[in-house]
Amino acid sequence: MSQTTPALELKNLSVAYGAIRALNDLNLTVDKGEIVTLIGANGAGKSTTLRAISRIVNPSQGQILIDGQDVTRQPPDAIVRMGIAHVPEGRRVLARQTVEDNLFLGAYVRNDNKAAIQGDIHKQYERFPRLRERRTQLAGTLSGGEQQMLAIARALMSRPRILLLDEPSLGLAPLIVREIFSIIRELNREGVTILLVEQNAQLALQTASRGYVLEAGDCTISGPASELARDERVRKAYLG
Amino acid sequence: MTTNLFFQQVANGLAIGSVYAIFALGYTLIFSILGIINFAHGAVFTLGAYFTFTLTGTAFGFNGLLAQQKLPFSLWFPLALLGGALLAGLISVIIERLAFRPLRRRGADSLLTLVSSLGLAVAIVNIIQFLVGAEAYSYPSSALNDILTPFLFLFPDGKVPLALRVPLTEPPIIVRMVQVVIFATSIFILIALTYLINGTKVGKAMRAVAEDATTSSLLGISTDRLIQFTFFLSGFVGGIAGVLVGMSVGITGPYFGIAFGLKGLAVIVLGGLGSIPGAVLGGLVIGLGEALVPAEYIGYKDAVAFAVLFIVLLIRPQGLLGRVFIQKV
Ligand SMILES: Nc1ncnc2c1ncn2[C@@H]1O[C@H](COP(=O)(O)OP(=O)(O)O)[C@@H](O)[C@H]1O
Ligand SMILES: [Mg+2]
Repeated sequence: MSQTTPALELKNLSVAYGAIRALNDLNLTVDKGEIVTLIGANGAGKSTTLRAISRIVNPSQGQILIDGQDVTRQPPDAIVRMGIAHVPEGRRVLARQTVEDNLFLGAYVRNDNKAAIQGDIHKQYERFPRLRERRTQLAGTLSGGEQQMLAIARALMSRPRILLLDEPSLGLAPLIVREIFSIIRELNREGVTILLVEQNAQLALQTASRGYVLEAGDCTISGPASELARDERVRKAYLG
Repeated sequence: MTTNLFFQQVANGLAIGSVYAIFALGYTLIFSILGIINFAHGAVFTLGAYFTFTLTGTAFGFNGLLAQQKLPFSLWFPLALLGGALLAGLISVIIERLAFRPLRRRGADSLLTLVSSLGLAVAIVNIIQFLVGAEAYSYPSSALNDILTPFLFLFPDGKVPLALRVPLTEPPIIVRMVQVVIFATSIFILIALTYLINGTKVGKAMRAVAEDATTSSLLGISTDRLIQFTFFLSGFVGGIAGVLVGMSVGITGPYFGIAFGLKGLAVIVLGGLGSIPGAVLGGLVIGLGEALVPAEYIGYKDAVAFAVLFIVLLIRPQGLLGRVFIQKV
């Protein structure tokens, strides 16, 4: 038994979409303050894992624990209230609303006063100055990199303790990817626990302390990121 | 058509068109969130009118279970209207629970929801008939006070303004007070709704759910609760529309809202499905179009909405202000 309760723990988690078994018996822990990565090929079940944690898909079996508390039957808004924010694959900004309204809606579950929320919006603008320039623009008009920044900033507006990131590098130019990943590390240094899903295994393993490899819904290998990066099977399949 | 008659009919058209607009907004709110037409909306319109009638403390007719019954109290008309609209909103929420939510949970085809909402509409019509009979009702003139009296456009000194009497031998334009009340109430509701949707937290959340329900869930927006709120809002404005029409022409019976409901569909398709400005524009266009039908063809008045609709759709299949419609997945 470990001494401290993990920030996030998945026990024997399985998810099926009808007859398609997307995830089988996943066991995974993320300790407070860690960056943990989940890597694997397209269709391996990575996004499904994050969707199950956010409770927008129902697990067919298993448990999800946040700070040791079972949340497997909680609705999605309860998960956000417990301090989990999810940056979905493909950013999913609200294209028909302004950048600022996207940020404002990121704070939807917060009950504190307008000034505190406005203050946090300005903090996001300091972190992502390009969003300040575009604050009154519709989010749909932003570039891919800007949308990714907005999606992360929006998630931070709920003041999460744990951030779930789904392929933040997807479709972005290398320079932008570097920028995004340096912000991910910075957030982690500020105390945010991170579960990072990536297809870009090399980058993910450089950023994370531990990793899990998913293959067709099964977790095949897990361990410290540096070991995974040296592992022959991982190198062959994901690092080229 | 003489100039005066034209202006007279424009005044009439604006009054009824503004009611079409707020009624159609009820469809639009739900459509933009669920991508489904709520076929029970016309029944909610009817209920708003009947609830308000009940709250004025007037006795029902000679038929039905509640024959000759009345409430032991009577509300000042604006309060009765508010109460009727709130109750209509509540019924709309119940309709969502019965006809929409169970099917949504099962991921059923939207065609099924369409049928289930239509079924509830028929049930409501029958329940009304069972309770208060099929006769027409009108709001007691005591409750409406003097708003039913026509008035002329007069200068304070009692003279009819020249501009409105071209040529001078023509009768003056008569605007009924009830039309002014209808138009003002509708415009007030349009402004309030626009503010609610664009300027408040719940409105922004509604637009978020309309655009992307899954992402909204990830932000902690409870989509079920937002959908419920949207149905309430839709029923509330639909109920008010029922009362406004009831004030003007009386409540024609349990089927009061059915024909109106069909016209509302013409309005939203004309304006563009899911478009709020489209519903307003569509309502005014159809209201004005109907009012300008020459007296000798008045029997065809109800065909105007669909004729206008047909012509516009030939030219602009997405409606006047609609986006090119993409099937929601
Ligand atoms: N909504 C869905 N309906 C049916 N099958 C799905 C759905 N979403 C994902 N899947 C299937 O589940 C498996 C895992 O998908 P996903 O979690 O998106 O993988 P990854 O994120 O690792 O690329 C894939 O086989 C995919 O086709
Ligand atoms: Mg994925």
